[in-house]
Amino acid sequence: MSSIMVQGTSSGAGKTTVSALLCRHFALRGFKVAPFKASNLSLNSFVTARGEEMGISQAYQAWACGREPEGDMNPILLKPRGNGSCQVVLAGRPYADVARGRDVDREVLREAVRTSFQRLVKANDVVVIEGSGSPAEVNLRQDEIANMATAEMAGSPVVLVGDIERGGVFAGLYGTYALLEERHKRLVKAFLINRFRGDESILESGISRMEELLGVPSLGVLPFADLKFPAEDSLDMGRGQGGLVKGQDVRKGWLANLDELYEMSMEQLDYATIDKIAFS
Amino acid sequence: MDEHWAKVEAELKNFRPGPNQECPYYSCHFEGQDCSLCFCPLYPCMDPNLGSMVKARSGGEVWSCEKCYWTHRSDVAAMVAERIPATPSPPPRPFLDRVKKEVEAVHPTSAMPIMVLGATSGAGKSLITAALCRLFSDMGYNVAPFKSQNMSLNSMVTPAGGEISRAQALQAVAARTEPDSRMNPILLKPKQDDVSQVIVDGKPYRDMDVPTYYGEFTMGEGVEVVTRAWNFLRRTRDVVVIEGAGSPAEINISEREIANMRTAEIARAPCILVVNMEWGGAFAYAYGTIMLLPPEQRSMFKGIVLNNMHGDPSCLRSGIEELEARLGIPVLGVVPHVDHLLPDEDSQDLAKEKGSGDVRVGVIMLPRIANFTDLDALALEGVKVVYVKEPRSLEGVSAVIIPGTKNTVADLKWLRERGLFDAIRALRGKVPILGICGGFQMLGKEVVDLNGVEGDVGAIWEGLGLLDVTTRFEEYEKRTVQVTGRLADGSGEVRGYEIHMGMSESREAPLFVLDENGKGRNEGAISADGMVMGSYVHGLFDLPAFRRYLLSRMPASSVRTAEVDYDRSVDEGLDVVASVVGSCLDMDRLVSILKEGLR
Repeated sequence: MSSIMVQGTSSGAGKTTVSALLCRHFALRGFKVAPFKASNLSLNSFVTARGEEMGISQAYQAWACGREPEGDMNPILLKPRGNGSCQVVLAGRPYADVARGRDVDREVLREAVRTSFQRLVKANDVVVIEGSGSPAEVNLRQDEIANMATAEMAGSPVVLVGDIERGGVFAGLYGTYALLEERHKRLVKAFLINRFRGDESILESGISRMEELLGVPSLGVLPFADLKFPAEDSLDMGRGQGGLVKGQDVRKGWLANLDELYEMSMEQLDYATIDKIAFS
Repeated sequence: MDEHWAKVEAELKNFRPGPNQECPYYSCHFEGQDCSLCFCPLYPCMDPNLGSMVKARSGGEVWSCEKCYWTHRSDVAAMVAERIPATPSPPPRPFLDRVKKEVEAVHPTSAMPIMVLGATSGAGKSLITAALCRLFSDMGYNVAPFKSQNMSLNSMVTPAGGEISRAQALQAVAARTEPDSRMNPILLKPKQDDVSQVIVDGKPYRDMDVPTYYGEFTMGEGVEVVTRAWNFLRRTRDVVVIEGAGSPAEINISEREIANMRTAEIARAPCILVVNMEWGGAFAYAYGTIMLLPPEQRSMFKGIVLNNMHGDPSCLRSGIEELEARLGIPVLGVVPHVDHLLPDEDSQDLAKEKGSGDVRVGVIMLPRIANFTDLDALALEGVKVVYVKEPRSLEGVSAVIIPGTKNTVADLKWLRERGLFDAIRALRGKVPILGICGGFQMLGKEVVDLNGVEGDVGAIWEGLGLLDVTTRFEEYEKRTVQVTGRLADGSGEVRGYEIHMGMSESREAPLFVLDENGKGRNEGAISADGMVMGSYVHGLFDLPAFRRYLLSRMPASSVRTAEVDYDRSVDEGLDVVASVVGSCLDMDRLVSILKEGLR
């Protein structure tokens, strides 16, 4: 059993796409792979064949792994209802409606994450874990579940993804790393820059400086790609919309696009180092 | 000297504000100058910021204020003239010096700058800059916005015929002044990934690729252009609110980049860092941005603004304290997400594109919008999806879609507040109107929620009444199921899933017939004229049949809705944004940052 975790410097950094690429990578190399995201905050959900409700991104990632989605791939789904209240879906079923300022017992949530993850780990060669938002929300250190808490629970190496489209990617990578606790810094094994447009050579000096500051290698630079995941939340609205998907069936078209992106990424990403990180 | 004063006396007696374009020497100081004090009552002020001693033709030295702009600003000229009596002989020098000091206290001879930088693009710099322009203008200052370099395809033309970015034009409106190309002396209009048309001082200069721009232009000509524009603004304004571009911490180009710290250095501006809270990672971005700068630039930062916060900011306290302690820079406030109606830099809204030939589908941007990924597939038909928050955005749409929502009752209320309730009803029969899930429930006559499952209180809520449908929320029960089936008229297949609370009872014809236990089950509703449709099926556009079904119902030409007074709504929007920003930031601290400048 083995796992690798993708964390981002912000929401929308490209964790979902990078995770899907890793899913595809391991699946095409003949491994039995499952995606996993401890917790999704999203109103865009999917229903599995067994009627379990889950985040739609993990459903797509499951298809990238060549399999059908399962509720365990996303044990916690939080569906905001406005005014700070939230519907909590646990292991595919509505669990509770939580009002503003009133929390579901963290232990219940952590247990749900552990149980689902362990089932996946037993049944698979590799689990590709996606983080949630940023791991450096210093105000939430105690309560977080879906980033370093999951990485620690899973004993998983972490790859940090920074989005260059919005600018400030070096600040985002450096700041995220710098604000982590020491024991969590040690889990970070590499970083990569996503959504770049233009001539890569302009980034070289910045990347070398990052490698020095973080003490881990860069896995490469992914170009801006039109792989249109269904948006996870309304922040992605307008960002994820309007891209080209081949073919008539959106799911099949998406997979065809993922394969193209994967092919292209072979020249951009250091998959040998990724394998080393995942199977070390 | 008496000869000079006689002319002063005459012009004070017959005070004529504004430029004198008849004068053969116009414009001897600057274009648009105020000529009322052609002969300066304060002459010779001996202020080295305004003039210098030069060799006189007659020999010896004489005070020259040839390069002074100050008393040729209308506000300064009026204030000086008001304080100096048109006496036959010149008032004593100490009196004149006192007047100059008084006027300077209100209108400095060189503007006080403050610069707003962002940790990323889209951090909210433009909006915060616009808010500060309006707030300082409200305080009585003569304000100009300034962004040395902007990259945008949304430009506009100034009264003088120069091209500048729309963001600075909007900020000029916020500052209550006319847009001027010096407010945005370098405008980059991207043509391809690596090439931009470079507009300098409002005029097309030439096309440059990235290496040329950073390798040849910025540090030479670029710095000159920026310095010249800054010098003009600083000499004609009280306050200049400067906006940065992108992030100042792009360590790969920071030595050749002029839009951020280089501009701050040219203007000697105290800096404020704006970070967007919406995407997460804000503390990391703030910390990383400051720490990647060299120490001498770090010390130019006097405050941090956490912008675009959704929800309750009190949960941030421990994070704010840690950030302040690590950086030694105060957080000036947390600005909530403002649901404003102002155009943003990259939106087409201000441009109000018309006649582009694009088919636009208006999707109502409900506050609790859910499963809007349903709409992604529409783009496959070459349709442009526009998100609509207000009636005017429905202008010219070829179809309206009300998407799903996490809270039908609350979002119905929002439709009414926004005036969208009536606007949607007014489009009945003119364009196809589709409701998905919660949107379907809204299209019906009523939403019965007697137990308060959906709303806070039990009640019956009136729907849009476009479909003869009643929705009931009786139990806390959720339907989650995958479905397949076909359009009720047999024209194709549909596939998707249902996720909803509440059940709808329809007296209309069904939209779909879904497979269920080997039989067909009617689902959704379509009005008799075929123009109003509703369904619970998410993903209904994933297969092509229903996409085409909707398209076939769109009108051949777009439908016009009522015009609104655009300028007024922008001005009101600016007031709203300014009041929110002003109430969330420590304004006393901000004003002292402005007044202290960089020591």
